[in-house]
Amino acid sequence: MSGDTHKAENLTRIAVLGTLTEFHADPLPYNLNALVDLVAGINPDLLCLDMTLAQWQQQDFSRLPSEYREALLPLAAQTDMVVVPIGGEQAMPRAIAIGWRGILINGARKLLGWIQASAPGPDAINQGWRHELGNLLYSLTRYLAGEAANHAYHTHIEQLTQAALRAAADNPGNRILVVANIQYCHHIRPRLQQQPDIIETAYTNL
Amino acid sequence: MTRLIILTPATLYQEAWRALLSTQLGIEVVDTVSQPQDLGQLIPLNQRPTTILIDLAAAEPAVAHQFKEITPAPGLLFLVDKYDLTEMVALLQADAAGCLIRDATVADLVRGIIAAGRGEIVLPPEWATKALVALARGEVEQGRPFLNTLTDREQDVLRLLAHGMTNKDIAQSLFLSVRTIEAHLRNIYGKLGVTSRTAAVLWAVQHGYGP
Repeated sequence: MSGDTHKAENLTRIAVLGTLTEFHADPLPYNLNALVDLVAGINPDLLCLDMTLAQWQQQDFSRLPSEYREALLPLAAQTDMVVVPIGGEQAMPRAIAIGWRGILINGARKLLGWIQASAPGPDAINQGWRHELGNLLYSLTRYLAGEAANHAYHTHIEQLTQAALRAAADNPGNRILVVANIQYCHHIRPRLQQQPDIIETAYTNL
Repeated sequence: MTRLIILTPATLYQEAWRALLSTQLGIEVVDTVSQPQDLGQLIPLNQRPTTILIDLAAAEPAVAHQFKEITPAPGLLFLVDKYDLTEMVALLQADAAGCLIRDATVADLVRGIIAAGRGEIVLPPEWATKALVALARGEVEQGRPFLNTLTDREQDVLRLLAHGMTNKDIAQSLFLSVRTIEAHLRNIYGKLGVTSRTAAVLWAVQHGYGP
């Protein structure tokens, strides 16, 4: 075995899977088993989820999206996948505003809800027009909500990225799947790609 | 993949166990038997079970001995009506992986089956502590001096190991992967000069890492 091959095998592999998890109050159009099958097929060593440490420690999953609560957490409980809560101390606040900005945000959110409701499966949210439009709509809601929302957004991205990097550093040579809202994917992936000891890859190649 | 054999006398129970456990991720039900002798000695290498689930009226250590004579490798997991310290210690002394109460959830059972197949001790943490202390008290051999100092992380792992936790539970407690825990355990075994999980646990309990 060459030195380069050996080194590559010891590198931590990490992938990001996007969801539209914040619409957990709405019923999902697709069977959550599709998400279970997808992640079970990937079978990562670590499953990094956007939830707070307190939610994990108290096992309080009542406010978590159904993708987490009804699919990924039960899957992890029954397999060797270890859950790593990477959401820090506080959940990401929802972008809000008053007046016409608020009306536009509500409109954008209805469109986001429709994107989720029309998605045939978890893969559809991670590619193509749904992914791009969803990301664009989230950017619009943050812009409309003002600087505070944008600041909270970037703080949360930093929190998610650093926590995922800590998990990678503590588990060299492992396979890590980060499951987070699609609005974070575009920012987290480039930061992970910059790390020399990590191979950032598509979740289909993890 | 955990390869499972189920021991239970009644055919209906065998079918029920097979139906329940065949659908669980990570488990392949290889066979069901009504007594240890049915296992025979002609199990192909690739069909050798990693775990045997034993559902009998009484959790007899003699059954563990019978199985170990036929096929030495698998983890033996007994189902019990209630937890009893004396019974647990006797099962551990007979080299069983542990026992699980019949009121457990399917998820607990699946995790126990997988853990037993990996050579882990399967007991509820609050009982594991008592059982391991009882086992350690009966153990006259003093722990061997270890040549290298354990790292902080290895001490964390050893402490949780001494509380009877499975690799998955240790991994989840420390937010490390099961593979990382297995690597830490290999290092710990090497530093302690032991070759089995039970020996490492006994060393840990005797050296103050336990409860």
